[in-house]
Amino acid sequence: MDYLATKYLRPRKIPSTACSGCGLGQIHKKVVKAIDELGLDVGDVVWGTGIGCAGRQTFATWKGDNFAGTHGRVYALATGLRIALPPNKKIILTVGDGDAFGIGFNHLLNCARRNVDLTVIVCDNLGYMSTGGQYGWTTPEGYRTDSSPYGMWEPNWMQGGRDVLNILREAGATFLARHTSIEGQEAVESIKKAILNKGFSLVHMPYPCVTNFAERALGSRRPAVMYKWFKERTVKLNERVDEKALGDIYFRTGIYYDASNSRPEFAEALRNRVAEIQRRFR
Amino acid sequence: MKRTLDTGNAAITEGAIIAGCRLFAGYPITPATEIAENMSRRLPQVGGYYLQAEDELAALHICVGASLGGLKAMTATSGPGYILYADPYGWAIGSEIPVVIVNAQRVGPVSGITGAPGQGEFYLSRYPTQGGNFETIVLAPNSVQEAFTLTVEAFYLAERFRTPVTLLADQLVTDGWETLIIPETEEEIQAMGLKVIPRRINEGPEFYPATDEIDIPPVVLGHNTGAACSDWTPTAEGYDTEEVEWQHKHAYRLIYKIRNHKDLITRYESYFLEDDPEVILVSYGSPSRVVKSAVKAAREKGLKVGGLRLISLWPFPDEIFTKTAKYLSVELNYDGQLVREVQRAMPKGSEVHFMGKCGELPTVAELMELIEALIKGQPLKAKPWEMEAW
Amino acid sequence: MAKRTEVLVSGFGGQGVVRIGQALSLAAVYQGLYTTMLISHGTETRGGYVRSQVVMSEEPIDSPVVENPDYFCALSKAAYNRFKHLVSHGVIIYDPGYVEPDPNLNVKQIPLNARDLAEKELGRELFANAIVMGALSKLMSGLLDKDIVIKAMLERIPRFHEENKKAFELGYSLL
Repeated sequence: MDYLATKYLRPRKIPSTACSGCGLGQIHKKVVKAIDELGLDVGDVVWGTGIGCAGRQTFATWKGDNFAGTHGRVYALATGLRIALPPNKKIILTVGDGDAFGIGFNHLLNCARRNVDLTVIVCDNLGYMSTGGQYGWTTPEGYRTDSSPYGMWEPNWMQGGRDVLNILREAGATFLARHTSIEGQEAVESIKKAILNKGFSLVHMPYPCVTNFAERALGSRRPAVMYKWFKERTVKLNERVDEKALGDIYFRTGIYYDASNSRPEFAEALRNRVAEIQRRFR
Repeated sequence: MKRTLDTGNAAITEGAIIAGCRLFAGYPITPATEIAENMSRRLPQVGGYYLQAEDELAALHICVGASLGGLKAMTATSGPGYILYADPYGWAIGSEIPVVIVNAQRVGPVSGITGAPGQGEFYLSRYPTQGGNFETIVLAPNSVQEAFTLTVEAFYLAERFRTPVTLLADQLVTDGWETLIIPETEEEIQAMGLKVIPRRINEGPEFYPATDEIDIPPVVLGHNTGAACSDWTPTAEGYDTEEVEWQHKHAYRLIYKIRNHKDLITRYESYFLEDDPEVILVSYGSPSRVVKSAVKAAREKGLKVGGLRLISLWPFPDEIFTKTAKYLSVELNYDGQLVREVQRAMPKGSEVHFMGKCGELPTVAELMELIEALIKGQPLKAKPWEMEAW
Repeated sequence: MAKRTEVLVSGFGGQGVVRIGQALSLAAVYQGLYTTMLISHGTETRGGYVRSQVVMSEEPIDSPVVENPDYFCALSKAAYNRFKHLVSHGVIIYDPGYVEPDPNLNVKQIPLNARDLAEKELGRELFANAIVMGALSKLMSGLLDKDIVIKAMLERIPRFHEENKKAFELGYSLL
């Protein structure tokens, strides 16, 4: 990460304070790589975060402007910021699964409905891992966490015919993708498309937590065990799989929905509307 | 100057626009809805933005986010929404982002009576969020005209102190109609003594200096200043830290930037205080109007009565309680809130009494009865405002 | 206390109680007076009353509460019964279509058949509030100019200006 880190990240925040073996760094690097490949400068991006592992570990790593919102509300904060900032500034948010799909889901859906120009990267470690490992809204059915000692029994947003990306699509998001952190350039390409969409984009990125999730769910803290588990469950959207044989959660990856630049962006529409009303009253 | 008949809601709207407010995000709630409606009509005319949020949490977050991007912003609500502000209110206090919050108090708890005045959020406006380690600034208008001037003042203080300011009104002030005088030119704004300062941008690298100084520009994102702001305890540069030493500095700043410049905030009105009052009536907001009439009427009868009307509530103006007297706190709640601060602030040898009403103003007649009893040293008779009577 | 004039208008929702108060207050503003008006409403949905409390004075007004009205205009039985005892020196104007006056009250009580007159003379009950405004304007003519009250009334009533002016004149001529 040397070249990218020197160019975009703060030396003070390297190395990160994430646990050894954490998959978050893989996502972080892909986002920075996407920014670099789009030819964006430090001043072109304002970087926001939520709460939890994803928020804490990525906050103030960006050399430019940074903010971290309250838990689950960074989407509302970013909506206000989007209206105030010039349209050419990119707002990229790295948030966790609890932040986006739990406490902040209402605000996230309303951002999708409004089509606010934001790029939301949901760094999903399959539950509440920074508080020690409790189940969340993407924790696979049956898996043990500290708050599901007999196995995750609540319906999640991922299985049983539900997919959180479908909900976001219905809500009005204009770019949606899913990649696991162990994927390569295809994930970077999706992030680039997400950033280029002038509207609400979200990339759902499940990643391995070896310290808490793997320990409880898989009975091992060895990164190799967790990464193997992820690799077996990372399945391309168009790939054929024997779902019954797998009999477990798997992550369908690729671009789910690309309606980039097809709907008016919220802040721009608001600005245009205000300008038109103002003309009438001059 | 434009002289009209209008409501406190309209006065607040016009005050905000003169103060430079260019974004309002709100959620409908009686009796503050009319502020949102006025804003939705007026803001676009001056190039500003109105948003209806999905809830009050989002409403204040949107305002704070806009302020973080350099726009002056305001929201307005009543008690049930004000409690939902706890989350973004705390964020704005900690990250030191200016924003103005209007609370048109109604009767509570919870939904209570929607269209009747209350004063139940006196303490909530002191502690609008968790965690402690901060002071808040709260202003309380008692007329339509003052709702206008204090809204302008709220924006001014929010910028100088870079913190949220609550305008703690009540339903009678916001829904009530009165003569309203609005300046129409720059000269008239100045002639009225209204102060407006533009948003400044902190260029860094010290965004959160360990000092009690005011007039430090807030963080504004989008200018590539390398700013960092968050809900965590910050270092001077804005990095999140778990070092207790930085927590001390942060708390010191949030508390003492306000405490050490209290003289810029404190505002009050007094009546007949220099004239040896035996009884002093204390109040804020709409009840203070009746109190003033009662104090004047008592003086006309030759009774030694004075009045203190708080215009700024927090930080609490302890220093204005200099007279040893029988204090009577007149409030629109039954539990007694302001009275507790009066009891704490009054000089030794003083007495403290309480009169609470709920949903309607006291009358001059009611107050006179209490004043006469206090002067004669009689116990206050059981009245509806004393819970035993229920 | 500075010389102040207190007006209390009360009735049920839809009678124009708020509008009458607004027109009087606005007229006061135009005459260079200070004025306050408190509106209590919402309760009418529970069978209660709507109330406008208007105060006018040449000096800034302290209490906006009408405790001792110079003019109490009662447009419903509930309003009359609730507030009649506030009047000690003032007058009560009541609509006999709704209100049965209390003969034991020791104050001047003036019947004003606004609802019936509005229906008979102007064809619609809607104009009753303009009749009331005219009557009040006559009673308060020492304080408010008739023309200014009319101007203020028309600013607060968006439609049927001719009919409302006629109704106002009718009310004015009755007292």
